[in-house]
Amino acid sequence: MFLEKIFSKGKKENQVIGHITKQIKLLCTAFGFFKTALETDNPSLMQQVMDIERAADTIRRDIISRIYEGAFLPYLRPDLCKFVEVVDNIFDLLEDTAYRYLDLKLPEQLRSECIQVAFLNRRISEMLLITFESMIKGEDLREKILAIRIYEKKIDDIKFDLIRDARKIEITNFWDGEILSQFLSCLTSISDVIEDASDYLQVIHLSMK
Amino acid sequence: MWKIISGIFLGWSLGANDSANIFGTGVTTGIVKYRTAILLTAIFVLIGSTIEGSKCMRIVGDLSRLVPIEAFLCALAAAITMTILTYFAIPASTSQAIVGAVIGAGILSGSADFSKLIKIVACWILTPIGGIIFGYLLYHGLKFIFDKTIPSLTYRNTIYTVGILMAGCYGAYSLGANNVANVTGIYVGSGLLSCQMAALIGGLSIASGALTYGKKVMLTVGKGIAPLDPFTALVTVLAEALTLHLFTQIGVPVSSSQAVVGAVVGVGIVGGVRTLNPKMLVKIAVGWLMTPFAAGLMTMLFIYVMPA
Repeated sequence: MFLEKIFSKGKKENQVIGHITKQIKLLCTAFGFFKTALETDNPSLMQQVMDIERAADTIRRDIISRIYEGAFLPYLRPDLCKFVEVVDNIFDLLEDTAYRYLDLKLPEQLRSECIQVAFLNRRISEMLLITFESMIKGEDLREKILAIRIYEKKIDDIKFDLIRDARKIEITNFWDGEILSQFLSCLTSISDVIEDASDYLQVIHLSMK
Repeated sequence: MWKIISGIFLGWSLGANDSANIFGTGVTTGIVKYRTAILLTAIFVLIGSTIEGSKCMRIVGDLSRLVPIEAFLCALAAAITMTILTYFAIPASTSQAIVGAVIGAGILSGSADFSKLIKIVACWILTPIGGIIFGYLLYHGLKFIFDKTIPSLTYRNTIYTVGILMAGCYGAYSLGANNVANVTGIYVGSGLLSCQMAALIGGLSIASGALTYGKKVMLTVGKGIAPLDPFTALVTVLAEALTLHLFTQIGVPVSSSQAVVGAVVGVGIVGGVRTLNPKMLVKIAVGWLMTPFAAGLMTMLFIYVMPA
């Protein structure tokens, strides 16, 4: 077992890293689709976001099983799995947001702010990918994690504007209002989960130092 | 030749107790499987005892002039003391048990050489200090080297795995080289065995102890003292192996338990004293104090009740 580990030059580990990279790249793609779907009010593109979520779910299962088949030190495995699960939670939240969008007619006065949040979500997911790649190379993560926090703060600021603007909209039906509220809540809380994912990267980075 | 049976029993007890010091951290951090750990310990203990075991043989036998039956009783008393301490999962020192037993026999016969005892006790005191120094220096030195040369997570993962394995093998080698004298050194002193034969028999008995009864103490050493990550586990085992090997060259058998606890304390100092478990350290210290006195008294009792 040990000789296999030495001579494989970390083959299992590299496979896991490859899959996690693929998972985060899919996340970036999903955010890109989501933003374009919002800009163009395109339901079929929103549907694509859900398809990507299913593909990402398959990758997550594959990563977890590979980790527990012996990739990486047992000491590192729980944090790696936790990171993968948190990334999967981001997909779930994005899927929920896409579902809510398909269920509502987004008021035009909120669209530009929602697009702005979607754009920032895309940027923050790209930054998560950069942070992950840096962690694998053993580079310093402080600046990347700081960038993620700054993006998250920007989204928080927009969130308050969105809530203020949403309160000006007249709601005639309870469920229309409820779904709009859920949509805005999901859209603006995605960045919090991405920030959690970046925290796990920092934990993994420090535990191998 | 039946008189060496107690020495074999002592070697078995030493193997069961001290194999924990070699791969305990590796096993509890999940890097090495328990079966792999005990197998490697057994192989490298035997290699160490046959290659360098003779270096520490004389000093144990020279502590007192023993006749073969007294050597038998000393080893028996030391083995019983060690087995009791192992049962209670206290990482105890075979060096202290056998020296306590030999001095006990020497006091009764009036042949105890206290000048040699001073050298041994000085080495006992220096052992944990050596462990602390090696642990502290290796932590800083290896951290600097790894940070500069192996930043990649994948490579570091492999280095930790291979490093702990190799350090464990070196630790087992050092254990065999240093501690085999505790097991069969008294038989060399009493003229029952040659140095080479004593090293071989001692090595085999330690290996058998590691293979059959080491799990409980292994988990105590690995988990109970300080929370260890893969890097500190590597440093701890390497520091312990270096300490034991250093005292082998001086020619004094010392305690691998004291060396490993010293190494863990050295690493603990780097991370702040709060990472140490004082309760566990007190338990170990009590074991260390009890061991030579218990073994000495038991030897005196055995010799007293033994028909002339």
